[in-house]
Order: sequence, then structure tokens, then C-alpha cells
Amino acid sequence: MNGHEPPAVTLRAAIESFAFHGDSRPALQGVDIVAAPGSLTAVLGGSGSGKSTFGRLLGGWLAGGRDGTLKGRLQLESGGQQEPWRPLVYSGADNDPQIDPAAWAEQVGYVPQDPAAMLSAVRATVEEELAFGLENRGTERAEMVRIVAEAARRTGLASLLQRDPATLSGGELRRLAVGCAIVADPAVLILDEPLASLDSDGTRTVTELVTAELARGTAVVVLSQSADPLTRSAEHWLVLEDGAETAAGRPDRLLAGEELASSGVVVSEPSGQHPAQAPYPAQAQSRACPAPGAAPALELDGVSFGFDTKNSGRPLLLENVDLDVWPGEIVAVTGPNGAGKSTLLRLFNGLLRPLHGEVRIGGEAIAGVPTGIVAQRLGLLFQHPHDQLFERTVLREVLFGLDRMFGDEAPVRAGDALAAVGLGAAGSVHPHELSGSGQRMLALATVLAREPEVLALDEPTVALDAHGLRRLSAAMTAAAGRGAAVVLVTHDLAFARAHAHRLVELRNGVLAGR
Amino acid sequence: MAPRLNPLTTLTAAAAVLVITTAASSWAVSLTVAAGAALLAAVTGAARRVLLGAGVILAPFWLSLLVMHGLFFPEGRTVLASWGPARITAEGLGFAVDMGLRTSAFVLVLLLFSFSVRVPELVAALAAFRLPPQFGYVLASTLMLAPIIAARLEKVRQAQESRGLVVGKGFGNRLAAVRLQMVPLVLGLVHDAGVRAQALDARGFRRTGPRTTYTQVRDSEAQRGFRILAALLAAAAVAVRVAASLSGGGQA
Amino acid sequence: MSQPSLTLPTPGQQAGRNRRLLEILGAAAIAATFIFLVLTQPADIAGGLGSVSALVALGGFLLGAVLLIVGVLPTLPTATVVLMPVALVLNIVLGQLMGSTGLPFYLDAIGTVLIAVLAGPAAGAATGALSSIVWSFINPTVLPFAAGAALIGFLAGTAARYGLFRRFYLAPVAGFVTGIVAGVVSAPIAAFVFGGTAGAGTGAIVSAFRAMGDTLLAAITKQALISDPMDKAIVFTIAALLVYALPRRTTFQFPFVRRYNVLAGKEPAKRNA
Repeated sequence: MNGHEPPAVTLRAAIESFAFHGDSRPALQGVDIVAAPGSLTAVLGGSGSGKSTFGRLLGGWLAGGRDGTLKGRLQLESGGQQEPWRPLVYSGADNDPQIDPAAWAEQVGYVPQDPAAMLSAVRATVEEELAFGLENRGTERAEMVRIVAEAARRTGLASLLQRDPATLSGGELRRLAVGCAIVADPAVLILDEPLASLDSDGTRTVTELVTAELARGTAVVVLSQSADPLTRSAEHWLVLEDGAETAAGRPDRLLAGEELASSGVVVSEPSGQHPAQAPYPAQAQSRACPAPGAAPALELDGVSFGFDTKNSGRPLLLENVDLDVWPGEIVAVTGPNGAGKSTLLRLFNGLLRPLHGEVRIGGEAIAGVPTGIVAQRLGLLFQHPHDQLFERTVLREVLFGLDRMFGDEAPVRAGDALAAVGLGAAGSVHPHELSGSGQRMLALATVLAREPEVLALDEPTVALDAHGLRRLSAAMTAAAGRGAAVVLVTHDLAFARAHAHRLVELRNGVLAGR
Repeated sequence: MAPRLNPLTTLTAAAAVLVITTAASSWAVSLTVAAGAALLAAVTGAARRVLLGAGVILAPFWLSLLVMHGLFFPEGRTVLASWGPARITAEGLGFAVDMGLRTSAFVLVLLLFSFSVRVPELVAALAAFRLPPQFGYVLASTLMLAPIIAARLEKVRQAQESRGLVVGKGFGNRLAAVRLQMVPLVLGLVHDAGVRAQALDARGFRRTGPRTTYTQVRDSEAQRGFRILAALLAAAAVAVRVAASLSGGGQA
Repeated sequence: MSQPSLTLPTPGQQAGRNRRLLEILGAAAIAATFIFLVLTQPADIAGGLGSVSALVALGGFLLGAVLLIVGVLPTLPTATVVLMPVALVLNIVLGQLMGSTGLPFYLDAIGTVLIAVLAGPAAGAATGALSSIVWSFINPTVLPFAAGAALIGFLAGTAARYGLFRRFYLAPVAGFVTGIVAGVVSAPIAAFVFGGTAGAGTGAIVSAFRAMGDTLLAAITKQALISDPMDKAIVFTIAALLVYALPRRTTFQFPFVRRYNVLAGKEPAKRNA
């Protein structure tokens, strides 16, 4: 990287098919792309559509032969007077070219959906992490210092160079991941879900970064499952469904057409917010009326909590919180990052115990009851479904522990729960081979099958595509309909407004209605 | 340590001290080295961690040695006391103390080294030493991974308890719970490793050419000289010991 | 200006031969050390252990382990290298926990066996040796056992290569046999370097044999023959269970698994080019 613009390079790829080793079905089939200098291309598709596989193939992270059977061609065209690269042509045979991931990455940089996956995780500071790729190339130290400073300037990391990468926020981490890719000064940049799980600050800085790269003449490809402002600014869209290309063309034309509807792409209004009601069934008005004399399904009575309480200087995270949720009611908890929303949920089932106050479910205090027992009455869904799944097949996962509760009825209930989240046909699949959305849906099914009195969901909308959002909303409505209380913690205000009977905000340790 | 030493210097010093201690094979030398390491730990402010770590390792070891050799030492002749097959012999106790002190010196010196070294600096110094870069990676990654894995295991446990997993009291129940927690933990870690491998490849981890290091490690002529001297001293100690054992009829 | 190539060069013959030489030298150093120790074992330890034996045991085994690591590591695919720290943490955490229970088992090779099954004998040997070296940062007493740990990884990989992980019930058998070999090789270290074993459970067993009049090496070897085969049978079984739980796409990332059909017991054998 030398401060000037990178040489103009066009990436052309035509993937006839790609199948992972051991899979009988190809993960990708018939997908073509051309990424020209200074242009933004968006690849859109729902969860499991093959976007990430496509991005990894383009970025040289997945290699034909090593990771699976690839048929098709990858080609880089340089605009300058340099002699051209030979195209890499794959026929799925043993004598296919073996891509050099490092040499390829100097032309085509790929940034994964989970930015932490980009990091070597053996470097103690941001600047050392940025330098990792340069060290491997044997760059002179003085040159290395200059390039690291330049990359930090371009990604806005200059003030964070001495920080430990493990302490960065989501947006900072994403920019570091981009920084790690651009120290090689690639002419093509592929960003996988660059805005996923970022707050508005993070979204703004990453969007600015993309704009600046485009202005330098970099060809940028964004993979995304939502038609948000960033992807709307692309010149060209490519829509994937089930690993195949179903539509391609200008965004305005595709937005006007029908192709997006079945793909699972989340279409939001240009403002970046979910439309107030449209895709979700309007239900916020049909508020449950508590039967007089009955107890709330979930009751927090003067609950206070703080970590590290020996250190008296630290303020409490939650102070004297009261919350009543009635059967059939849906309550959304919102609030800024770090306000203690997830902590609040963990107090519901006793994973954390309050310093003062009491938590009651159906009128009974849970103090002293093990979390595993509380779980029969309160189902808690975590942010990371990975951690919750441990069986070998989807069906066994839902059946786990169910026979003890329902006896012979268990298989029927498991089947119903899977059907409700759209996994009825996936019973024999390994849970970890489901898409991100699918894993969340499976985790939801394991909770739904037990028909708990209270359903507590931690950021349930993150990583869900349009199909997933629809099923989540149906499942919440159905649970409330049979008399369960639902509490969800979310940063997605539009989703909360569309679904909850009541919104409460957690700010500075206090819960307030709004 | 105000002026930080090059990690290679401390590593060489530790290794040389250990070789000399083993070659000397005398309880007095072992005791001196162990005490010296403890003193140095106190000076550098690492005493608490070093002594705690050494205690955890050495306490069962000493106990085992004293029981093993203190009570059962068929070669012992000077019997101090005996109950049936168990005999306390002077030779047995001496042997136990000998071995215990030698291991104590070994453990204290190495712990002092590992608690005082900064891993990124060690990795950078080793890279300059033409060891495969993979070695530095595995070393650094393992030492940095432990807290991450512990945090992850806690998350898995919480998630599973929230799904209704009750860990019973019996041994079998505990074992079943461990299985349920190990599977998602290992699956998640193996999955992450697969992705990280692709990232490292793209960032040139498998390049074969020369490499450079961004981290600058302090070094000096004096330290280089000291390292050579320490290595020579260790070699001399071994030579003396071997010569003595040869002239003594193969028995030292 | 010519463009840098986008494909990998075919590996040079010379580099491969050098690596092979390092591996052979490493294995030879370990074998020679073991033979030397057994042949020259002091008949009478009453006057103190031969410190030459301790020096040879430390130096020879450590040198062999380091040569193996340096020879093997650069040949491994990155996917294997990145998995090694995970395996090492498993080894170290479980080994450290087990050491504190007082049971005569170690359980400190689950990660090593896991890698060996997924990536083959060479990767297994390197993992075992590295495991001891890295573990010694927090528990220096394991350092001299690096060669034994490498042997366990090598044997586990060989067992996987010949299909002993295809059937669930064959894994503990392979573990049992591995334990016999590993125990015999590690015993001289415990005897000559440490003069005993570190665990309370293993110490009790050694004491019992000593009470019957065995030499220290014989007593420790017999103890190892009681503890190690059982321990490795358990370790191989746990590793097999973990590997069976992995999704197919994950295990098939590893060329060793595809090439030798290592896990055919789990899924119907499928030809793969």
C-alpha cells in the first residue's frame, strides 16, 4: 500500500457449482459476478442462501479441491499495462489449479460476517494485529509502521492502535477486520454482512468506510440479507436463493419486482427502520387484560443487582426494578448497549440472583430453586444459539428432556414445535449444519416445545432473515395466544413497536415505561 | 525488572541453571537454586504467583515422594523405624529430600521464567530464531485461549441450564452433564478454528519466505554475551559430570 | 512488471527431504535415549540417582520432541495448526484437574488424540510434544514427558489411519495398546528425573511395588502398566465420542479423514475423490 489508488482490477467469477466435501447437494449453482473498479455490487439472499459460501470462494477463503468440489472460473483482469493473470479454471478434477490464498488476498480482500474470525487472536494490540499480514510477507519494519498508520487512518482506528483487540466494540472490531484486509491494498473488497449487529454509530462509520474505498477506485462487493441503505446504494444486485441466482439487475428494478419476496431478504424502508407494521401482523392493540385476582406470570419486586459488589465504588447495574408481565402479554425491553438488558433476563430464571428484591413466576418466588427447574416454567432463549445446542440431530435436540415432561406425547410435541419454526423437514440434519437463522429457529423450537408459562427472548431478531422474522413473530403471537407471557430484549425498536403490547426502557439501572 | 531483559536471555539463564543443578546433583545446590529463584521472584514482585503455583504442583509431589521413599526403600540399610513391610530408612528419606529439592528448583526456576516473560515478546524473539512461525502461534494462542474457553464454557452451561438441564448429585449425572457441555464447546471451538485457518491463510500465514516482526524486542551486546557464557557454563557442567561418571566406573 | 502468481507452487523435493530427516532424527533421538536409559540404569540408587541418567533423559527426549515439532509443523495445513491450541487447552485443563483428584489417571491426551484422529500421526505427534512444552509454562514437571506424549499422538494417528476409529468398540482397544507402549517409554523419566511420580494415586501404587522389593524403575514401569492402558482406553473413547459428534462437513475438512475413511463407522462409507 503506498497511499495512491490501487491499480484498477476487475474480478470476474462464474461458479457453475460448488459442493463441500461430503455433501451430496451443491452449496452453490450457477452464480456469476463482475466487480468493476469503483463500483458497489450487493449480493442479497436469506439465511442459508449460500451468500457467505460465495463470498468465501471469491475471497480465496474456500479453495476448490481443498474445501470442496468446484466447477467454474475465477478471473482477475488488470486495467493497467501489466501482463494479465491467467484465469483459474476449475473442472472438479485433481489437476485443478491450487489457489494461493495469500497471493489472491493481495488482490481480493474478504472480511467475514463475524469480524473476530478475521483476527489472528495472538496479537496483544490493534497495531500488532494489523501488522500480522505484513510480518508474514517479510515487509521491512519502517515500511510496516507506515502501512499500519495508513490503514489505521483509512479505517478510523488511529486512536485505538494500542488497545487490546478483545476490548473493542462491535463497530471497532469490524473496522479492524477491514483494516486487516486492506493492509495488502487489495483492489477488490468483499464484505460479508458488514452492518450486522452494529448500532447506529457503528453503521455510520462502516458505511463511510465503504464510501471512501469506492472513491479510491476499489471494487466493493457487499453480501447481505437485508435491503438496507448501504445495499440500496449499489449499482447492481444479485439475489441468491438456495445456492442459485434467482435475479440480478438494478436495485430499483428488483425492488419493484416480485423476485425478492420469496428470497427471504429483509426489505426495510429507505430510512433504515423496519416499516411500522406492514410485514408483521398487527396485534399491538389486542392487549391482554389480566383477570382480576390472578397473579402476574412474571413479577420482579424491587430487584437490585450489580457485579463485583465488594467494590463499593461501582454503581448497581439494576436498582429497585419492578416489572409485572401478565399471561398473554408481550413486553419489549429496550435500551442502549451495556444498560444491563441481558443481565435482566438472566435474573428471570436464576442464572443470576438479585442482591435485593424477589423474582416470582406465577406468584411463586424462585429464590433457592435451581435454574434447570425454573426452566420448566420459564423458557429463556440466548443470543448465541450455538451454545444451546448439543445433540446430533435436530429432532433429538428438541426431544431432549421432553419425554420426562410429556411421556408418549413427546414426539408429537417435538414435531409440532419444529413445524412451527419451519424446520419440519430438517429433523435428521446436524444442528450445526443449519444456517444461522435455522440454528436460532431450532433453539426457539426447543423452548416452545416445553410450552413454558413465560418466554424470555434475548435479541431474537439478530441474524434472522425475512422468513425467520415471520416465523418468530408467529411463534410469539401463538405463545401469547395460549396464555404465555413473552418478554423480549431487543435493540430493534420497529420490531418491538410492531409486536409488543408494552415497551419498557432500561436506562441507568432503572426501568421506565414509554 | 526495570530494564526489560530479552526473553531469550531469561530463557537461556533458566535452562543453564537447571542443567547445572541437575549435573551437580547435590541437595545443597538444589536448595540454593530454589531459594535463589524464590528470592528473585520476591524482588521482581512475582513472588505470590510463583510460590502459589509451585505450591500447588510441589505439595502433592513432596507428599508422594516422602510416602514412597520414606516408608518403602528396599535399598535402605539404616532403619529408623518399621511397621510390618513399611520401614523408615535414612537413605530413603535422604533420597526423597534429594529428589524433592531438585524438582523444587526445577519448578521454581521455570515458573519464575514463565511468569516474568511477556508472551508476545517471546514469540517475536523465537521468530527471529528461525523456528517455524506455527510454533510461536500455537504457544501464544494456547496461553491466550484459556480464559476465552473458560468464558465460553460458562456460557454453554448457562444456556443449557436455561433449557432445563438439571445437574444431579450423583457421579453418573455429573458425567452426563460434562458430556452435554463438552460437545457444544468442542464443536464451537473446532468450527471457529476452521474459519480462523482460512483467515490466517489469506493473511499469509503459510508463506515460506522470510518474515519480519513488528514487535521490537530489546537486546544488547551484553545480553548476547551473557547468553553465550551461560550456555558454555552449562556445557562445562555436563562435561565435568560425564567425565566424573566415566572415571567413577559409570556410576555417579 | 510481471504479476505474482495466484496459485501455489508445487512443494520442492529438497525441503520435503529436510523435514523428513528432522522427523527421523527426532524419532531416533527418542529411541536412543530410551535404550540408553534402560541399559545403563543404576543397579543401586541408594547413593543417589545417576545424574547422568537424568541429564540424558531430559536432553535426549527434549531434543527428540523439538526436532519432531520443527520437522512436522511446517508441513501441516493451517486448519490443523489452528486446532492445536484448542487441543492443548483441553489437554492441559483436564490434565491439571485430574492431577488434583488423586485418581491414578491423567486424561491429559484427549486433545492430542482428537488431532491425531482428524489429521494423522505426524500431526498427533507434534501436538503431543507441543502440549508438554506449552503445559510446562504452568507446570514445569510435565516438560520431560514430551517424547511420551508425542508417541501417544503418533500411535493414535496410526490407529485412525488403519480404521480403528471406524467402530466405537475398537477405539478403547487401540487406546489400551497405546497405553502399554507409552507407559514403558515414560517410566524412565519419572524414575530418573523425578525419582517418583507426582500424583498421590500413582504414588501409592509405586509404593506398593517398592514394598515388594522392586527397583524404582521396575516399580514405576509396573505402575505405568496399570495406569496408562486404562487411562488411554478412556481417553481414546472420549476422543472418539467427540469426533462422532462433529458434523460431517467439519470432519471432512480434514484430508486425512477423507483419504483414509477414518470415521466410516459413523456414516456409510462414501467414495470421495
